Amino acid sequence: MAKMKFNFHPPLAITLLILGFFVFVPMISAFEYSIRTPIEGGYGWNNYLWAIREEEFLYYILRSMWLAGITVIITLFVLVPTLTWIHLSNSKVRGLIDGLSLLPLVIPVVAFAVGAQISFPDFVQNTVLELPFLYFVLALPYAYRALDIGLNAIPLKTITEAARSSGANWLRTITTVIIPVIRGSVMATIALTFALSLGEFTLTVLLHWDTFPTWVTFVAQENILGAIAISMMSLIIPFLILTIITLFVPERSTQGRK
Amino acid sequence: MSSKSLTLSGISKRFGNVTALDNFNLEVGVGELVALLGPSGCGKTTALRVVAGLEHQDKGTVLVADKNISDVPAHKRNMGMVFQAYSLFPNLTVEENVAFGLQMRKVNKTVRLKKAHELLDMVGLDSQSKRFTHQLSGGQQQRVALARALAFEPEILLLDEPLSALDAQVRVNLREEIRRLQLSLGTTTLFVTHDQEEAMSISDRVGVMNEGVLEQIDTPDALYNKPASAFVAGFVGTMNRIPAQIADGMVEIFGSKVVALKRGNESGHVLALIRPESISVVANSAAPNAKVLTRSFMGASSNIVCQTTDGTIIQSLMTSASTGDLHPGSSVQLHVLSSEVLVANA
Repeated sequence: MAKMKFNFHPPLAITLLILGFFVFVPMISAFEYSIRTPIEGGYGWNNYLWAIREEEFLYYILRSMWLAGITVIITLFVLVPTLTWIHLSNSKVRGLIDGLSLLPLVIPVVAFAVGAQISFPDFVQNTVLELPFLYFVLALPYAYRALDIGLNAIPLKTITEAARSSGANWLRTITTVIIPVIRGSVMATIALTFALSLGEFTLTVLLHWDTFPTWVTFVAQENILGAIAISMMSLIIPFLILTIITLFVPERSTQGRK
Repeated sequence: MSSKSLTLSGISKRFGNVTALDNFNLEVGVGELVALLGPSGCGKTTALRVVAGLEHQDKGTVLVADKNISDVPAHKRNMGMVFQAYSLFPNLTVEENVAFGLQMRKVNKTVRLKKAHELLDMVGLDSQSKRFTHQLSGGQQQRVALARALAFEPEILLLDEPLSALDAQVRVNLREEIRRLQLSLGTTTLFVTHDQEEAMSISDRVGVMNEGVLEQIDTPDALYNKPASAFVAGFVGTMNRIPAQIADGMVEIFGSKVVALKRGNESGHVLALIRPESISVVANSAAPNAKVLTRSFMGASSNIVCQTTDGTIIQSLMTSASTGDLHPGSSVQLHVLSSEVLVANA
């Protein structure tokens, strides 16, 4: 790790100030609130201990995590080959697909959920596996852009052709060359998709599924402090998981330092 | 030796309205190095990419030895390719890059790394094997790319302007290294370039292309001395274009009559194509027909640029010893040294 020296930069200070005010202050306040013990007075871990003892806590957090995991797999499986193709073909559909990928941002989730309920056949609506596919659509604008930036930053055509003329078929070109070269983008896509899926509430509730976020709101009705404790943990646990993933995927030098 | 011969017959390829290759034919013998030379957009790169399987021809067949590979996908063609742009995999070390082709062929790690080191040793980069590619200079990167293309013992080596992104000195060194490796491994090689010096200096034969058609393919000497068309004559080496009139199969140049060599149906007013070394400049003549504009001293030889009385600019290449008394502004007499000249339609 390079030694970093911090200098004072006004634009950076302003960014940190705004970020601090709107993100860190509410988070710290929520944390402070969650460790209050109103009956005994003062602070303690009672609410966290209560939350962990709730037998449904583990069930719902695991359920949300595997749904998020499947969403990540669907996202990579669909988007990496598609975007590679779009970039290589240089086709006019690129602008169209770029635009389409933004649609989930402008369509209200409520409309989306109702539409899904009306149009999807029963066998789809009867399985919780409909959620990862819908989460994929919700995460599409972010995942698409993260991968798009990565693919734009590399000489995709040349290294793809080099891989193919060296004997790699398309699958191996994508898995052994393209994904490792845009590793940073792929990690960002995984993080964004995972976080978005894990926290998705509106769509899940409208389609009558129970996941971790919907369970937390249910719990909040009887124990608001416990619900906040649960939410704090739900922030920290995925954060730890993502940190571990990032640390354990072997670091390889991909950036040209001139 | 795994090297094979290459035959392209009747290859046509269009991109929209542009005809890149028009009934293109080419044969490259086992172990031969053939260069395709031509201006940009002449179809030379398309021809190479069709051989590699990176483009699919609209018509025609590609044969390696006697096997038709026209519809074989690129990754099954067993052809090593070096690209113009740096094409190394940035996530792999130098040795992993070179071993990549063997890895794709499921060769075990010990064997493929051994082979990679052999090749890196051949291009003089074995000491850099653990480094990442961005830590290498441009010339070193192209050497690694060459090693990578040769490591899996390809049937054909394809070079797509591999030197054009490099500095002049590195370019000369690397082209000689390519030739040395190619000769020692005996790999059949197709080399695409727009640089005639590059093509002429290392190739067994050079094919000059224009507008999707092979104008002439021959040894560098033959191309230079016996160009088959005015285009080839103009593209390979420097050529003076002197207006003249054909009469009875002869043209009059600087007052002397020489035989006109026609490649088509040239007649009447034509351009005589004459190499600079076939024109001599004589000072202190009784009947001057030109003035010296510049004299560039280049060591053993000097380049004299003159202007004739009718305004034509003429270049002459002479030994420096014989040009001592030629100065800008001197009145001189030009002579044609050859007894026959190629003519083209004006």
